[in-house]
Amino acid sequence: MKTQSLFSSKEELSFLRPIISVRNLWKRFPGVEALKNVSLDIFSGEIHAILGENGAGKSTLLKILYGIYVPDKGDLFFEDRKVVITSPRDAVKNGLVLVSQVPQLIDSLTVAENLSLSLRQFGYMSNVKKVSKFLSEKEKEYGVRIDPDVEVWKLSYTQKQLVEILRALLLDAKVIAFDEATTLLPQTEKEKLYEFMKTFKDKGGTVLLVTHKIPEAMEVSDRVTVLRKGEVIGTVKTSETTIDQIRYMMFGERLTQLNSYGYGKLSSWEGSETLTVRNLWVKSDYGVYAVRGVSFSVRKGEILGVAGVAGNGQLELIQALAGLRRVERGIIKLRINGSEINVTNKGSTLIRRLGIGYIPDEPVKKGVSLDNTIEENVAVHPKLSKFLISWRNVKSLASNLVREFSIVTPSTSAKAKVLSGGNLMKVLVARELTVSKLALVAYNPTRGLDEVSAHYVRRLIVNKAVNEGMCAVIASEDLDEIMEMSDVIVVMNSGSIVGVFKSGASREEIERVMVS
Amino acid sequence: MRLIVVKRVKTSNLYYIGIPVLSILIGLVMSLLIFALIGVPPDLFIRGIASGFQSPQTLRYFALLVMLGVALTLSFRASIWNVGAEGQMIWGMIAGGYIALFVAAQSMYVSPGELANYASMPGVEVIDASPYAPVVSILLMDPSLGKLLMILFGMLAGGLWALIPAVLKAYLDIDEVATTLILNYVAYQLFSHIASYTLRGLSVQAKQFFRTDKANSALLFDLIRGTSVTIQDLVMAAVFFVAVILMYGYTTIGLRLKIIGSNPQLLRSVGVDERRYILLAMFLSGMLAGAAGVSIFASPGVGKLEKITNVVSPPTMNLGYIAILVSWLSMLDTRLVPIYAYIVASLFQGSSMLQLEINAISPGLLTGGALTYIPIGSILIVYVVLRILTDYSIRVRIR
Ligand SMILES: Nc1ncnc2c1ncn2[C@@H]1O[C@H](COP(=O)(O)OP(=O)(O)OP(=O)(O)O)[C@@H](O)[C@H]1O
Ligand SMILES: [Mg+2]
Repeated sequence: MKTQSLFSSKEELSFLRPIISVRNLWKRFPGVEALKNVSLDIFSGEIHAILGENGAGKSTLLKILYGIYVPDKGDLFFEDRKVVITSPRDAVKNGLVLVSQVPQLIDSLTVAENLSLSLRQFGYMSNVKKVSKFLSEKEKEYGVRIDPDVEVWKLSYTQKQLVEILRALLLDAKVIAFDEATTLLPQTEKEKLYEFMKTFKDKGGTVLLVTHKIPEAMEVSDRVTVLRKGEVIGTVKTSETTIDQIRYMMFGERLTQLNSYGYGKLSSWEGSETLTVRNLWVKSDYGVYAVRGVSFSVRKGEILGVAGVAGNGQLELIQALAGLRRVERGIIKLRINGSEINVTNKGSTLIRRLGIGYIPDEPVKKGVSLDNTIEENVAVHPKLSKFLISWRNVKSLASNLVREFSIVTPSTSAKAKVLSGGNLMKVLVARELTVSKLALVAYNPTRGLDEVSAHYVRRLIVNKAVNEGMCAVIASEDLDEIMEMSDVIVVMNSGSIVGVFKSGASREEIERVMVS
Repeated sequence: MRLIVVKRVKTSNLYYIGIPVLSILIGLVMSLLIFALIGVPPDLFIRGIASGFQSPQTLRYFALLVMLGVALTLSFRASIWNVGAEGQMIWGMIAGGYIALFVAAQSMYVSPGELANYASMPGVEVIDASPYAPVVSILLMDPSLGKLLMILFGMLAGGLWALIPAVLKAYLDIDEVATTLILNYVAYQLFSHIASYTLRGLSVQAKQFFRTDKANSALLFDLIRGTSVTIQDLVMAAVFFVAVILMYGYTTIGLRLKIIGSNPQLLRSVGVDERRYILLAMFLSGMLAGAAGVSIFASPGVGKLEKITNVVSPPTMNLGYIAILVSWLSMLDTRLVPIYAYIVASLFQGSSMLQLEINAISPGLLTGGALTYIPIGSILIVYVVLRILTDYSIRVRIR
């Protein structure tokens, strides 16, 4: 196995040599033209961001480069050679490795075993020892530290993503493509990943970064290509452009929605607490207390934001509120029309029946069923269909949601698995906001959504609070999101609430409490 | 050494037709070769198998396999691997048999002198004309009502039997493959015990052969002339088939039974207790298998419960296992069940006829039911291999 070639110093000249060229690429799926005549050059040694709204075709483009999909028409060139890529193996042979949002690792094997396995999968010779040696080398070069002998299930999400990246390095990647691989990472971890990308670039590597977060692209990339509805809108140098220009390229007229929004006034609902939590103790999957004596209450029409560095108990708190995690100690009470109901450990059935919407942490795993249609994913909610399903009603509800949330899909009877990542999330969010009457409990409610859609969802939540008196508990790793929506912000640290802020508090103040 | 199995993603439509069809073709070629090896000429094999497709006897297997195929698909689709249809059928037989023998009718001794009187009364049938202790069966209710009760109780019994592994799975997380399989053998044993002792008949034959009396023939199902299938078999198969399709298409329980197979976490997260749907899937599945059991009991050629002397050939004719093949070939799509039920029924019937023919030509060759299962078994094996090869990529890793 050769690992050295890539890390030899490169002269600046190579910057202008395309390492990957895409020419006149077309890809059609039933009911949708996912890529239309896409042409694009990725230069050697650059960080190239690909931006676009949900369903623009970003993932499709990467999947074609990586041999998961075969294009209908068009040519691919790797280092000026015309290539036909029909499997990830071909792509890897040509020096491209994809890191996706979902780590493709086998939980029961160790890091080294996983890596050596995928090496062999791609036709390299390898053994666990070699891999371990390689890892310690990389640790010096990149400062990423992963114990090769630890089983994957013990790793955090960030660590798993790092293993994916190490795999790319092991496979001798010249180009590493990230498909929204940063979306789920906490801010501080994102920085680490950016650092890595820059180091990789300095060593002569090329990065292809798919994202819909403009600031992210601005921060790390050298050039940006914007896709919209399957077409290349343009490629610009990051240093010569502005956020507004890119935003316009991404969204076009949809942008007016963004500007005209503005939230309504703060809630004017007078009334008692809808949701009360007293001295709540909840364990994590590993059996240790993740939530330690949390108390708060949320009034009618009020939005409570739960801030904190990921992994400080927010997740377990949200799951307990949704009735999906056992409460060890403490109580959760709801007040409906003046009467109080103790819902502690009563299960999700009761809680959901009372009119509480829930946006879970792993949307694909817990919130939708990929093998079922959009309509079925709506009808599955007990509040949205009776024993005899009226498909006419479900269809019209689903079409309304598709329109309202601008979900890109050929039809409401399309299977969820054909949707793009963001559109899949929108199906879930749309369904849950429809059933949220009393309250909404959410974890990262806009993850994976493009800016306009995310803004739409936030505004909808705020409007439901202001106009309908819905209350909400929203945990998010995106502090801006929390600050934008919340009436009250609590900060969690090591399972406890370590700070309470009214809306309008300063960001610095909040951040300080988060990490202290 | 460890085996590492990774599921592949695939979208091909061809696959859903290709795999079953290929399995059948390759499986048949394989069995042709096996038969050739033991000295059966290929033309005999082909003629034997082909005859199954036209045999009037095939219809009976067809009806039973539709019921069972629909039953198993119901649970398989919910990712519950119910291989316990045999046991559920057995309980259908027992419950249906009990109703027929003791509730809807009753057998009793009469004095030899009065036998002729009894025989001429409506609703009375002579079960045993023994000159010493004749037995008659007296109908206690309208026979149509009796048949309905037999079916209902048979279904209930099959469903309840299926609930045992369901509860173990839903609440104690005990794997259902093992439990349903073990419970089949438990059911066979209980069946033998019940037939030999608990419900043992009064007639001389019953005393001799460890069995119940024969049921009143008014309570048996109505044969369609020239075949061995009954009207009730076909009606039940049709009703179950349509009902399950409608349930999937138009009810929330149908939708949830589908979704529990692809993403049980979704159910829980929208506030549906997925464990109750595990119970429901198994209960429904067991009910339909139970109905098939009643069909077997109420077939005019049977009409009794008899001690199982050889577990290899239980009264269920192993159809509870054969139906697994039907469900798999249908790729767990209920709509396709009748098609593959017909094909498998024909192959099963064809193989039985082939067996008879071979026994007739060369009695020494291979006796017993062994040959009957070669084609079905070959197809099953090919199917499993094809599915594994196409669904998973498997790598062996040696430490
Ligand atoms: N396997 C598929 N079958 C059918 N349609 C598909 C398939 N994969 C993608 N599509 C469609 O192609 C279009 C582009 O999807 P793609 O996943 O590339 O979007 P994306 O830019 O990655 O969006 P997101 O930001 O939401 O991830 C979408 O309309 C999607 O529904
Ligand atoms: Mg995508």
